[in-house]
Amino acid sequence: MEATLEQHLDETMKHPSIVGVLVTDQQGHNLGCRGSLSDEHGGVVSVLAKQAAGLSKDPTDSPTVCLESDTGNVLVRTHGSITVAVHKMAC
Amino acid sequence: MGCCYSSENETAEERKQLIPNPNPESKPLHGTDWSASNVPSARTDEQALLTSILTKTAQNIIDVSATDSQGMEQHEYMDKARQYSSKLAVLRNTLPQNKAHFLPSLTSQPHQVLASDLVPYSDVQQVSKIAAYAYSAISQIKVDAKEELVVQFAIP
Repeated sequence: MEATLEQHLDETMKHPSIVGVLVTDQQGHNLGCRGSLSDEHGGVVSVLAKQAAGLSKDPTDSPTVCLESDTGNVLVRTHGSITVAVHKMAC
Repeated sequence: MGCCYSSENETAEERKQLIPNPNPESKPLHGTDWSASNVPSARTDEQALLTSILTKTAQNIIDVSATDSQGMEQHEYMDKARQYSSKLAVLRNTLPQNKAHFLPSLTSQPHQVLASDLVPYSDVQQVSKIAAYAYSAISQIKVDAKEELVVQFAIP
């Protein structure tokens, strides 16, 4: 059933700089996660994406939220009905 | 003693007592007993009318002196406050801690982060691509029926 998604998450984690990935729905329910991002982050990630999208006048505009820190970035992006968060370490 | 005697055209709701009568069985305040048995029968109707007026009046009187007994001394109030706060402190420790779930890698040196280079556009593109793949992977999810959902019982 969800084997394609699981496979995609595993492949994403193979990138050397990526240490965490999370897929959540619009309500913050976790659809899949790996590494440093776990299911309790689903709510924060979906809300961040929703709030960021609310800043734009264009409802079809889908912004990428980037939380920067000295050790790495968490990038949050919505596509359709899902939101993806990727935790990348600084190279 | 306060009095809120009401006129006849007020509704029942308006005439409801603000403070319930502390002693419902008490006789009218002026000490006169108006019960019908002490009155000659010829004047019963008039007395009954007067009694009803008196009862109505008594209902509309707020006896402030009677409510004083419900008040608390200051030291009693302080004792109760202390008792409740100690009880709350005990209960608070038994409640499950609702911790905030922080996203990983928050920085303690924001100036370094702000002074650093912009997020590479390739990273943004990469995340967009990952999100698009994940969306297509999720849209492929479908129920994989392996056996019949409705099973016929073998009725002989």
